[in-house]
Amino acid sequence: MRKIKLLSLLLALVVLPGCGAASVEGGTMPQPEQRLVVYTSHKEEVYRPIIREFEERTGIWVELVTGGSYELLEQIEAEKDAPRADVMFGGGVESLESYRRLFQPTRCAHWSQITESLRQPEDCWTPFSALPLVLIYNTKLVDASQLQGWEDLTRPEFRGKIAFADPTKSGSSFTAVTTVELCCGEEVMQALAGNLDGCQLSSSGEVLTAVADGEALVGVTLEETALQRIAAGDNLALVYPREGTSCVPDGTALIAGAPHRENAEKFLDFTLSREVQQLLGSRFYRRSVRSDVAAANSLPAMETLNLVDYDPRWAAEHRETILRQWDEALED
Amino acid sequence: MGFFKNSFRNRLFAAMLLCSLIPMLICTMLMVQITKLRLDSKTREDGAEQTAALLGSMDFISDALTASAARLQDTDTAIHGLGAGIGSRLQMNSLLFDATDSFRNLAVFDLYDSTGICRYSTRGTVSASLPTDWGVLYGASQTPGQPVYYASEDPTDTGAPLLMGAVQLRAEDGCTGFLVMRLYLAGFHGMLDGKYAQGDILILSRFFRPIYSSQSYLTQTLAPALRQQLFGGHWLSDGDYVYTVCCHEPTGLYLVLRQPRLFTARTVGLLYTASLICMLVCVLISVLVSFPISRQITSPLRRLMGAFDKVQQADLETQLPVERSDEFGRLAVRFNQMVLALKSNREELIRNQQELNEAQIRMLQAQLNPHFLCNTLDTMKWISKINKVPQVAVMSTNLADILRFCISAEEFVPLYRELEILERYIEIQKIRLSDDFAFLEEIPEELYDCLVPKMILQPIVENAILHGLNGVPGSVIRVRAAQDGTLLRITVTDNGRGFPQEMLGHPYRRDKDLAKGHLGLYNVDMILRRNFGEEYGLFLEPGDGGLGASVTAALPIRYEEETEC
Repeated sequence: MRKIKLLSLLLALVVLPGCGAASVEGGTMPQPEQRLVVYTSHKEEVYRPIIREFEERTGIWVELVTGGSYELLEQIEAEKDAPRADVMFGGGVESLESYRRLFQPTRCAHWSQITESLRQPEDCWTPFSALPLVLIYNTKLVDASQLQGWEDLTRPEFRGKIAFADPTKSGSSFTAVTTVELCCGEEVMQALAGNLDGCQLSSSGEVLTAVADGEALVGVTLEETALQRIAAGDNLALVYPREGTSCVPDGTALIAGAPHRENAEKFLDFTLSREVQQLLGSRFYRRSVRSDVAAANSLPAMETLNLVDYDPRWAAEHRETILRQWDEALED
Repeated sequence: MGFFKNSFRNRLFAAMLLCSLIPMLICTMLMVQITKLRLDSKTREDGAEQTAALLGSMDFISDALTASAARLQDTDTAIHGLGAGIGSRLQMNSLLFDATDSFRNLAVFDLYDSTGICRYSTRGTVSASLPTDWGVLYGASQTPGQPVYYASEDPTDTGAPLLMGAVQLRAEDGCTGFLVMRLYLAGFHGMLDGKYAQGDILILSRFFRPIYSSQSYLTQTLAPALRQQLFGGHWLSDGDYVYTVCCHEPTGLYLVLRQPRLFTARTVGLLYTASLICMLVCVLISVLVSFPISRQITSPLRRLMGAFDKVQQADLETQLPVERSDEFGRLAVRFNQMVLALKSNREELIRNQQELNEAQIRMLQAQLNPHFLCNTLDTMKWISKINKVPQVAVMSTNLADILRFCISAEEFVPLYRELEILERYIEIQKIRLSDDFAFLEEIPEELYDCLVPKMILQPIVENAILHGLNGVPGSVIRVRAAQDGTLLRITVTDNGRGFPQEMLGHPYRRDKDLAKGHLGLYNVDMILRRNFGEEYGLFLEPGDGGLGASVTAALPIRYEEETEC
């Protein structure tokens, strides 16, 4: 016994100093009621000023987890028994719609100012910004008269030269397929698929690059990204299709069972505040979802865009059918 | 286990190894831990000192803004000039320059009106505007009179101010404008450089967003990591660095000092390598020491074992060299003594054995000749009978019988046999001496079967014939036997000259030299004594009536069956 005691004493002497020195200065650490966990699929330049301003205004520490929208939604689903996230910030409303069971319905303080067509009926999610689909073309290679609407995409001179992301991978591309079908009917959709000549891009980001580089002549993308690239000086121009287009918002949703529910609601209100909504137009080429915040001066007003009635829930529910049709048309 | 069990050397080696390695190991580990603690605490102390100095330097930020704002606030012209948009540009500028006098070397100061348009600046063109519903001006308008500090959104953009501070300037009727301080990278360098000796510093906003770092890449790598750690609830426990974090109270900014850990894994590795080398040296020393010592023990032992082997193989010349005076030396001396004793013992044994062998050979030789003599005597007997010389026949017959009796194997014979042989002898002597004496036997018949050693009577009678009859006419020799208890007494008397006085009694027990002239009697006495014990033997006395001599042989009465057992 004595031996064991002696041995353990020695061991303690040798081992003990190894531990320790792992304490946190108490004052620094944010308390649970000062925290908020946000999962976001937005780009950094979008979320950064909003999050910073939110922190400064509320004193709430925001912990960010970034990623693709489906990736984050799957993570939220995996964590649904013990949610870590409070808010899902970003993601097309189709994706939010298909995961709406994970969200806490809530009506934000600015609900009455939200453009009516963009509201979610059960308030499972709240729209953040409106993103109309547009056509783009390379200004050096295509004349403005060649591209006026969806139907022009079926022209033989654009065959194999259309930058179009794979709708199974890109949310905006899926919206585009559905929008074409809604605006021009199934035939144009099938003709468009045929005119791609089997060439689809793997992400929506590549569309802009392909057209700007001249690899493709025309492309389909969101107004926001197109404006960004145009502002950056690329040889691009955008066209609002004359047959009409869709304006699908991205949204923000509260996670059911969120650990910091109160702060999450504050954040949701903040994203719809006039300041943030104005920032969308002034800094990010996005359109506000508030009816009382006008689009930036350079943009045509929402009412002039000839918007189709695009129901995200219907699109989400018929996703499989639409994609199958698209695939069949692609193979023909 | 056999490695230790069968080799003393290995055990010694292992023991020495343990004795040297275990203290060494413990020592090393303690040293490492103590050094580590010591160095870490030193680093921490250094860190605390340096951060205290750095916090002092950071006071510039708050001092510059609050002091400048206070000066402007106290100047009615400035307040009103800004609020109402009146007052000349030069006048306003000089007011601004006066207010910010001692701070302009590191920071840029601007005056914004209440709508967020920059009116006057200590540097650069005056065209910028800031939103009043967003960012620093919004913050300042929410806390009138209190300075607010906003971090740059992108700390890598060094063209933009890294930190902006703003304070609202108020007139009696409300907000008239804002004093904004811009702090650029150069300002931070000027403020903090030379205030810390080693390591890197990182300045974080109150939400742990990076503002400035002495190494610009740290704002992208370390700051998010620190923030993540803070959310995780555990502080950075980086193996290579020690972090000291403290809050600059006037601004709410955090200062992080990162110092390289003096005692890194590499140092530990170095220490362990050093101690490993020491251990190897220990092993070497153990080997070097244990082998000679074990040789000092085992080689005498081996020599001793070899010597024992030689002794076992009967080499008694073996001697161990005595080279040392210690236990092994003494052991060698003892061994040598033992071998010497053994050797002398054995030599004696060999001598005895040789003597015995010689006696046996002599006996065999003695037996050989009489046979030949007996046969010769028999032949002589027959030749003399054929040639009718009766005396020769009788003599040779008797002599042969005596001889045969002498060489017969048995040691003890019945008394009657002894008497028969005695009669043969007398017959021969009578022929020799021409029947010059009388021989009388007086033996009770019951004693005939008593066992006596053979040839004990003949020497006594011969002695009587030789000494007693010499020159005495009418000599008589008597042989008598009597039982005296368990004792048999056989007495031979003569009537001759008798014994000299000194011979009476038990002369042969007193003096062996007497045997020289009386070998026969001496031998008989010896035989009796050897066979039966010291109380038996020959007793010499004067004969009957003082004439002649009487020799009595005393021996225990024994019969045939007794001796058989």
